[in-house]
Amino acid sequence: MYLLRLALASLANRRFTALLTAFAIALSVCLLLAVERVRTEARASFASTISGTDLIVGARSGSVNLLLYSVFRIGNATNNIRWDSFEHYASNPRVKWAIPISLGDSHRGYRVMGTTEAYFEHYQYGRKQHLQLASGRAFASDPFEVVLGAEVADALHYKLGDKLVLAHGVAAISLVKHDDKPFTVVGVLQRTGTPVDRTLHISLGGMEAIHVDWHNGVPARGTGRVSAEQARGMDLTPKAITAFMLGLNNKISTFTLQREINEFRGEPLLAILPGVALQELWSLMGTAEQALFVVSLFVVLTGLIGMLTAILTSLNERRREMAILRSVGARPWHIAGLLVMEAFTLALAGIAAGLGLLYLGIALAQGTVQANYGLYLPLALPSAHEWSLLGIILGAAVLMGSIPAWRAYRQSLADGLSIHL
Amino acid sequence: MGQALIELSRLGFAWPGQPELLDIPALRLQAGESLFLKGPSGSGKTTLLGLLGGVQKADRGSIRLLGQELGALSQGQRDRFRVDHTGYIFQQFNLLPFLSVRENVELPCRFSRSRAQRAGQRYGSVDKAAASLLAHLGLKDPALLARRADSLSIGQQQRVAAARALIGQPELVIADEPTSALDADTREAFIRLLFAECRAAGSSLLFVSHDQSLAPLFDRQLSLAELNRAARPASDLEA
Repeated sequence: MYLLRLALASLANRRFTALLTAFAIALSVCLLLAVERVRTEARASFASTISGTDLIVGARSGSVNLLLYSVFRIGNATNNIRWDSFEHYASNPRVKWAIPISLGDSHRGYRVMGTTEAYFEHYQYGRKQHLQLASGRAFASDPFEVVLGAEVADALHYKLGDKLVLAHGVAAISLVKHDDKPFTVVGVLQRTGTPVDRTLHISLGGMEAIHVDWHNGVPARGTGRVSAEQARGMDLTPKAITAFMLGLNNKISTFTLQREINEFRGEPLLAILPGVALQELWSLMGTAEQALFVVSLFVVLTGLIGMLTAILTSLNERRREMAILRSVGARPWHIAGLLVMEAFTLALAGIAAGLGLLYLGIALAQGTVQANYGLYLPLALPSAHEWSLLGIILGAAVLMGSIPAWRAYRQSLADGLSIHL
Repeated sequence: MGQALIELSRLGFAWPGQPELLDIPALRLQAGESLFLKGPSGSGKTTLLGLLGGVQKADRGSIRLLGQELGALSQGQRDRFRVDHTGYIFQQFNLLPFLSVRENVELPCRFSRSRAQRAGQRYGSVDKAAASLLAHLGLKDPALLARRADSLSIGQQQRVAAARALIGQPELVIADEPTSALDADTREAFIRLLFAECRAAGSSLLFVSHDQSLAPLFDRQLSLAELNRAARPASDLEA
């Protein structure tokens, strides 16, 4: 293909402009792919916040609301559910495991969750990964033990054996503290990239113990107070919890059990399928993600327009080049082809460099991004979707190249062989 | 009389919206002949060369090249016909600066299969044709062939342009003021080289220039101003 050789030589002759143009395209392509990759991974990681759980059950409200407070620790439950409702379903023969959760307290902005050992045993996230302890152990019989999520331990610099005081309510600055009953850090979980990292886990008994002397939302005064020592001796079975998660023996019975729970006569309950609710929630956030995608598409368009400008600007000073080519036998469509090929080459170089930048960026930022945002960005070959995006960019570049090609075509017909500049 | 290579009759041409620029009753160029066509700038010589090259189409009359009526061909056919049978040398900046000397010389063979074939038949290959044409024109140094065209002196560049016009033995070589950028000493030497190579290739030479001093070197000379009956602006008539 001799035209390609000519196009390359001509570009090499204008290498500074050509490199800048290709670089602009490279940056825009890199941005588009990065946004695309983060988007895909964010969606995947979002979807894998919780896995292996078949049903989440809470007081009757909306499914997104239940998902938000039970899994993402966002917002609050409208109502608690009774402990006996939990026991009723935990002992259901179709249920393999049940994790009760009790929310409502916090520690320096991080939520506290009361649960049982079943949580460490059965809760799964990502690709059915179980929670792992980075150090220490799960809480045991003593109610005043706490297991920290990785981010809590990191951000607040807690070590095993440290004592901490929980605050009542979930406001960032709480005036009412459970300072009469401090907790001891007995374990720190490994990082998961999910809301688990931002949670303090205590036993249901602990949750009950710090509220045992509370009435109507305020702590008892004077003689009504119960010390930590006294609390240890009491029966700390809770009367109410916030929600519970169920794993079933047989996935097929999920819908049957869901219907049963939703029609439970004891109290109004709502059972949701986490996967379905996650999708519902993601569709709410989809707009922002789409906006980001559209913005990066426009950045690519800007890069291509830069290329168009560079080629169009060069046309006038290249009239002589065109005339010489015409005199040695190039036909007008050769001239047009030359310019289309130039656009194609610039875009291809831009795309290749953009991919290079992307992989370099991923290689450099992979660790940081995973540690801070829980997003794993794989150094994988472009997906079919990404290839098709790149193909569209290349197609758009060729389409844009046809504008200067058309002008050069007309120009070379008018100029003919002799150009006296 | 030998075979007519160029045969113009009752040629008329005007650019759109302008008065008639060319009105030439007859012009012939024999095969193997060298013709000096004197034409000051503005006399329509560039337009005439464009018509001979088939870039523009005559409004009336006929242009025959090697017996082929150019007006009967489509734009694409005229383009192909031009490169197959005509080599061009212009004033200066004839070369693509970003290609090597060798690539510049070989350009016509890239666009015309028949010129590539003829170059191959005569010299063995296009490569060898380029090298030996350049050597005949005084550019013997093989290292020169690989150099960028714009690294050569103007005189050298014109010789490269001549080699490019001659490669593949086109029947006609059209030179449009090829010596205007050269100094007087190299001018005549260049023309003699050009003659020799045209003769070797069997090409006719149509040489257009305003420099009357070169005219005696040619087989025949004509003045475009005398040939062209189209009304000239008053200033040109005085000149």
